[in-house]
Parts: sequence; C-alpha cells; structure tokens
Amino acid sequence: MLAGPVRQRHDQTEIRIAAGDVVDVLRTLHDDPAFRFEVLADVAGVDMGDSMQVVYHLWSETTPDWLRVIAVDLSRDDPRVPSATFLWKGAEWMEREAYDMFGIIFEGNRDLRRIYMPPDYTSFPLRKDFFLADDAARSPGQGVRHMEQVHPPADSEAPIRRARGR
Amino acid sequence: MAVQSPSLDDPRVLVDTPAAIVDAIPPYAPRSEREAEFYALGDGQMLLNIGPHHPATHGVLRIVLKIEGERIVDLDPVLGYLHRGVEKLAENADYHHSIAYTDPLEYVSSLFNELAPVMAFERLLDLRVPRRAEYLRVLSCELLRVSSHILFMGFMALDMGGLTPILYSFIERDEMVDMLAALTGQRMLFNYMRIGGVNGDLNHEFLSRLGDWMSRAGRQAEAISTLLNENEIFVKRTRGLGAISRGQALNLGLTGPNLRACGVPFDVRRAHPYSVYPELDFDVVTADEGDTYARYLVRVEEIKQSIRIIDQVLHEMPDGPVMARIPRRITPPPGRAWAAIESPRGQYGCYAMSDGTDQPYRFRIHDPSFVNLQALVPILPGCLIADTMAVNASLDPIMGGVDK
Repeated sequence: MLAGPVRQRHDQTEIRIAAGDVVDVLRTLHDDPAFRFEVLADVAGVDMGDSMQVVYHLWSETTPDWLRVIAVDLSRDDPRVPSATFLWKGAEWMEREAYDMFGIIFEGNRDLRRIYMPPDYTSFPLRKDFFLADDAARSPGQGVRHMEQVHPPADSEAPIRRARGR
Repeated sequence: MAVQSPSLDDPRVLVDTPAAIVDAIPPYAPRSEREAEFYALGDGQMLLNIGPHHPATHGVLRIVLKIEGERIVDLDPVLGYLHRGVEKLAENADYHHSIAYTDPLEYVSSLFNELAPVMAFERLLDLRVPRRAEYLRVLSCELLRVSSHILFMGFMALDMGGLTPILYSFIERDEMVDMLAALTGQRMLFNYMRIGGVNGDLNHEFLSRLGDWMSRAGRQAEAISTLLNENEIFVKRTRGLGAISRGQALNLGLTGPNLRACGVPFDVRRAHPYSVYPELDFDVVTADEGDTYARYLVRVEEIKQSIRIIDQVLHEMPDGPVMARIPRRITPPPGRAWAAIESPRGQYGCYAMSDGTDQPYRFRIHDPSFVNLQALVPILPGCLIADTMAVNASLDPIMGGVDK
C-alpha cells in the first residue's frame, strides 16, 4: 500500500500512499485502537512541478511523533483525491482552500467551492506556473506578467520551479 | 438614438430589484451541492446578510444567515476579504524575509505567527537553539497569550453590549505592548523570532516594566472577571448556548481553548511538547460543558496558568547567547518539516518544504481560527440572531489569520 519509503526525522514520521488508498489508510489510522489518530492537524496541497500532492498531518496520543501522510503522484491536469470529510468534518474548509489554491478536486466534499478568491476567478494561485505580477526575485528583467496568466509564454526564460531532491 | 435608462422614480425599478435579495443571493449558478441547498429558500425563510463590515465580526467576516423569524436555520460564512496571499509571497522571498510576512496574519498574537515558521525552518536546518533563546521565546509568547486572552474577555463583553470590560482590557493590552516594545523594538508586528534564536536579549526597561507588572499580574483580568463571571445578563446569554460535545469537537477539528472547553485535554504544549515546556509546571485547563460560558471560563483560567509559566521562566532563565551562529543566506538541504505550537487560539502549524535554494519551496500556514470558525455552521442553527455575535466571540477568531 505504501508508495514510497517511510521516513523519520526530528519528531515526524512520513508515509507516502497513492491517492486511491487515502480513504482506507485514514480510516484505519483513525478507527484502529492501536493507532487512534483523532486530531487532524492539517491538510495541505503541494505542487511538485510535474505532479501534485496532498499532505495530511495527524496526531495521536499513542505516539510522540506527528504523522505525515502524503498522497503522491496526482496528475497535474486533473488532480483528484477522496475527501477526508467522512472522518473529520473540519477538513471541509481546508480542502476548499487546497481546491482554491491548487485546483485539487476532493471527491466527496459537499461544499467544494472557492473560499478566498472571488467566484469568477479562474486561476489557481499557489501552482508553480502562476507567477507573481512583479516577480523580481525569480525573473529579473522579464517585465510584468498578467496576474491571471496561468501558463508562461512559450518563449519565457523563467522555467517552472520544480521540487528537487525528495 | 440613445437607449432610455429607467428612471429611479419608476416604481417598477425598485420592485424588480429588492435590495435584500440581490445582496444575499449570489448572481451565478450554485458551485456546490451545499451552496445550492443553502440558497434555496423554504416557506417563511429569508436571508439576512451580516457584514463584511460589522464591529462584532472581529475583522471582515461576512455571514449569510438563513432565518425563520428570529431563529437561525442555516448559515454560510463568506471569507476572503483579508486574503493577502502570504503563502505565495513567502515562496518568492528568502527564509528570513518570509518570517516578516507572517507577522500581520493574526495581529493580536503576532509572536506565535513567527514562532511556528521559525521552528519549521530550524528543523529543516537541523539547528539547535540556545537555551536562553528558548526561554525568551516562551516568556514573550506567554506574555502575549495573557494579553490576547484579556483582550478576548473585553471583546466578548463588547459583542454582547457591555462597554466597560474592553476599557480595562486595553489598559492591560497597552501595558503589554509597551513592555514588548522595550524587548523587541516594535509594538505590534514584533519580528522578534529569528531563525536560530531571538532578536534581542533582556534589557533594563523591559525588566523593570515586567517587574512592575508581575507585582500586580492578573489584577486587571481579575477586575474584568468580577464584572462578567457572575453577571446575570452575561451568564444568561452564554450558559448553555452553542454547546459542542467532545466527539463533535474532535470531528470539527477544533483546537485550543475551544476544544478544551469540551473536555478534551489537548494542548500542544503538553500533547506534543516543544521548546522548554516539558520543564515547566502548569496545568491544562479543561471544562466539561462545551458551551459559550465554558469557553470563556477556560480562557480566564489560562491567564493564571500563563502567569505561573512567566514566573518560572524568570526564575530559571539561564545565561548564554540568544542567537545560534548561522550564515546570513540560508539554504537548507531539501526536505520537509512541520512545526506546531499552541497559540492563544489553538494549534498553530507551519509546514515548510525546501528544495535546496534560499527560498521555501512550499510554505503553508495552518491557522487555528480558520478551523475554529467552521464550528459556527453546525452549532448556530436553532439559536437567535443575536446569539451569532456571542458564539462568534467565544470562538475568538481573528480574521487576519483566517484569511491569510
């Protein structure tokens, strides 16, 4: 079921799973008396440059570590992952935020609409191919890009920033 | 020939566009199942728009209430009026720079906003912080926790129509920010936490102000709680109102005093100790009722615990440097780190990813107010319109943090 190595560093344990296994893994972690991960600390989207990830942080009194569950390899064109609202209703707004910022579709979330950006907005601002209008740090001399231009122009010299290393 | 625009004197113009309906119902097709359900009005129901500019919404929060007479049937909070895109800005700034961006998020307790990212960056760097710096962090944070809770007491009373307590709150708050200005150099946006330590050591002015304050610590809070704790109007309006059960609170992801008021002793300082909290002696305050009054009482009690912590920190503060030796340009090795702390509003988290450059690859802020505010939706139906303000105040959201 694991889609990558288990890592442990500082006070955090990290496991990686496929998007299809999210429901089973979260349900087991939450319900199994050996785990009892009752607190959902965070849900975050991540754009890796060539794929997307959804990162859950969980807390349980059975372990001194935070557990980080990463659903990996979501397609960048149509990122889909099952919603965690069947276990934690509080995940609803965090998933709305990840949808608003990354365009990740959480299947089963009854209220998946934009939460911060206006309803007629069309871009996903935290994606790596969304450049700031005046991004002097990353593209000196490139000039001002239009805020809602999602894809860089074909002759752009500023490549999408991709995650390196792990 | 120009098209004749309708005259405002024409009665049909007003009939066609009744203001209340146009303001509340969105002018586009429903985007989700829940939105469609909410904006479909049943018999005898109407929508009432509160905000975004309303003194009792703690910032700019808009709440659309669906009401039947005086009773709330359903509600839809609308966020985003304060959204500044801090996460995106931080991904385009270097590590030191992004800490300054987090300051104005939750403006009532800025030090906590700085501490979580700083701790996450330190974990990326495998950096050990000098012990004196850890003590200074705990000291300044606990001072701000007292200040934030005292401000909460004042605002809660103000939201329910009591003007006096907020005046006492601000006396204390003023003293606090002046004290912290002596320590950090700023009154509100401190920028005190640095990667590897803190910005400045203790100084004479801070210590003399702190000494003065400690000699009468908690007296202002005592004065406010004398006004409120057994105030008949206050108690009648809050006891039993907006009660949340233990299971419901965990399911909603509540943290902080809101969760502890439901009988769950979850406090990140104890549940997942960080900094020097394992060495300090304090109690995790809980209550069983889970109602608005319990949430108020838990905070009042936490003020006393924070003063206990400050007292211990002042006695046990070791000597030594307040900053680790780090280069000015930081390039952590590629990796991921999560840091969570207990802010006055609950578990404040920061998730940072490094790709080996001098800018964070991903910078995520998890604000407790954001999750706590969600609880309005299940607990308000059945209450009266006026209770919206009392329940909202007791959850203590700060919209700067909610909207990021």
